[in-house]
Amino acid sequence: MSKMWVIIKREYAQVVKKKSFIVGIILTPLFMVGITVLPAMLASKKADDTQKIAVIDMDNKKVGEKFAESLTRYTLDNGLPAYEVTDIYYIDPNDTAKLTEQRAVLDSLVRAKQLKSYLIINHKAEVNDSIVLVAKSFGFRTNSRFEKRLSDVLSGIRLDKSDVNLEVDSILKLTRRIDLMQQAPGGRERDFLTMYLGGIVFVMIIFMTIIGYGQVLMRSIIEEKNSRIIEVMISSVSPFQLMAGKIIGLGLANLTQVGIWIVIGIGIYNFRGSLDISADVSAILFNPVFLSFFLIYLVIGYIMYSTLFALIGSIVNTDKEAQNFIFPITMSLILPVMVAMYIIQEPDSLITVTLSMIPIFTPTMMILRMNFIGVETFSFANPIILEATIGVAITILSTLLIIWLTSKIFRIGILMYGKRPTLPEIIKWMRYN
Amino acid sequence: MDEYLRLENICKSYETKKAVDDLSLSVPQGCIYGIIGPNGAGKTTTIRMIMNIIVPDSGNIFIKGAGVTKDFRNRVGYLPEERGLYKKMTLEEIIKFLAEIKGFPVRKIVESMDSWLEKMSLLDYKGKKVEELSKGMQQKLQFITTLIHQPELIILDELFSGLDPLNIELIKNILLEEKRRGTTILFSTHVMEQAEKLCDYICMINNGRKVLDGRLAEVKSKFGTNSIQINMEGDAGFIREFSGVKKVTEFPNYIELKLSSDADSRAILKEVADRMTIRRFEIMEPSLYDIFINVAGVKPAELDREGKADV
Repeated sequence: MSKMWVIIKREYAQVVKKKSFIVGIILTPLFMVGITVLPAMLASKKADDTQKIAVIDMDNKKVGEKFAESLTRYTLDNGLPAYEVTDIYYIDPNDTAKLTEQRAVLDSLVRAKQLKSYLIINHKAEVNDSIVLVAKSFGFRTNSRFEKRLSDVLSGIRLDKSDVNLEVDSILKLTRRIDLMQQAPGGRERDFLTMYLGGIVFVMIIFMTIIGYGQVLMRSIIEEKNSRIIEVMISSVSPFQLMAGKIIGLGLANLTQVGIWIVIGIGIYNFRGSLDISADVSAILFNPVFLSFFLIYLVIGYIMYSTLFALIGSIVNTDKEAQNFIFPITMSLILPVMVAMYIIQEPDSLITVTLSMIPIFTPTMMILRMNFIGVETFSFANPIILEATIGVAITILSTLLIIWLTSKIFRIGILMYGKRPTLPEIIKWMRYN
Repeated sequence: MDEYLRLENICKSYETKKAVDDLSLSVPQGCIYGIIGPNGAGKTTTIRMIMNIIVPDSGNIFIKGAGVTKDFRNRVGYLPEERGLYKKMTLEEIIKFLAEIKGFPVRKIVESMDSWLEKMSLLDYKGKKVEELSKGMQQKLQFITTLIHQPELIILDELFSGLDPLNIELIKNILLEEKRRGTTILFSTHVMEQAEKLCDYICMINNGRKVLDGRLAEVKSKFGTNSIQINMEGDAGFIREFSGVKKVTEFPNYIELKLSSDADSRAILKEVADRMTIRRFEIMEPSLYDIFINVAGVKPAELDREGKADV
């Protein structure tokens, strides 16, 4: 044990002392935010300024005016109107020269950013739905708002022309559309975008630290093989002590890193008010039950996968040879992210539950499911808690199996230089005593 | 002298090849023991089995008459055939680390580290990283890490490979010092001439089998002092007529006589001295190289007589 402790200390110090460790602590979250949260935040970001819009109306049924009036309901956070219709130009549908001229003027205003966009309401728009929005770029939110408002205006015109006896406004009220509010059982607000991103962040932490530290482990074993220090090492410690010492040492470095992130995360949680994350959502992400399961899965997942990386390191001679073996490992870790859109919709379906009970997927899959379903208290009444606990047991058992098999292969593999062993050879090693 | 290490009927095969075949040997305590043989003779495999890095297919290994226990690892210093250290660690760190995994107290390492570094003229590099050292310096550093934890048994595989003559001299002296302290030293080499100067006991192996073993002096006398070199003035043609002289080879400055086993070298000296002036009269001992070729019947190309470092 004391010898293993010496190895643990060395492996830990070798990683933590490096500048890349500090850089990784800072850069990895930035990278994760960069590839997950940031694009979504940008896409859903509200404009800060009132958008100026012009309208070319070739129908003269007051579509432009009604549309402009309907837009007043949208305001920005600072109370200013979200949209302002600056001008409405009425052009005769047959006067194409005037239209071309007017468009040229408005085009240049759009290019000069004096106008955000302009609408062209064609002749008989209420019949042929022919309305064009001209802009340099289009936002999802603005698009859907314009569509809704224009539909209403055109419906109004159509109703006016028909023989319905009811007031137009009352019909519009009767047929109005709603936005569904989403709540979880217990009345908690569910903002799916934030939930999705939150879940992905935790999966990414597991994924990136396992891949990162797993590869460090694998490389250091390959280096020990190539520099032949491995012989000195195993003339002093048993191969198992060496393997376990390396896995634990790097694992502690990994935990140090994640620990620092969690501290930063809790810091952010305390300032959540200014970050526009709803309290219900952040309560799910930062609750003790969830975080405990996350840490448990991080640790078991790390041990399971890094043992596999140690196995690869012991049987190959170069990084290049190792790449073929790393691919399936990376795939099995990233699978939950790829199927996350399905899991978010069906977190309790048979296929999701089955996948999350396959040990190599369990750590990431369970975290994702727990995140979507929500865990507040540790109670087996909540099926996901029961499943997650069973998942922990299954993963621990299969990790022990993997460690047992790997230790049999490892002690022979590390002394095999040169030719990479074939599968039958590896199976033969497992039978040696 | 007490026995320190004994190998009994050790066998080890790889796939189709027998690497070590029924090898038995006995290493007395406090001696320098050389395992000698050409490349691929099974020296490294034998040493790895002693180190418990690989397990013999059959046979037994005893330390001081008992089986090998786990803490044997702590009492042995091992220099593998292919040298290597952690390149990113400083000299100080790696010396401490490698001694610590032998269970040697850090305090004692710190005490002796500087004098070891001084001895190997590495003291100025104490805080430098291993990768900043030259190959030769790394060898010397690894030699320190093999010895600093005061092992009872030192095992050195291909001791002389990669060392220049100056460092060979340095390391020889350190090994002799260790021997005086009672440490048992086992080394392997394919460089016969170096082995001859250093060891008390030898074991010659070829193709995994023992060719001969024993005390160096006994081995040499067993293979007879059956040739004489004489430097003299004048024509020595008459020597051919002496009884017991089997063959005479004339060189520009001396002649070499091969004698039959019952020949009396003193009688020959007397006879020659009566007739002419002798500048040199030397009874030649057979070199290990000659003995090996004689006993094992190996082609000379496979052996390194001169002590050139192997690549």
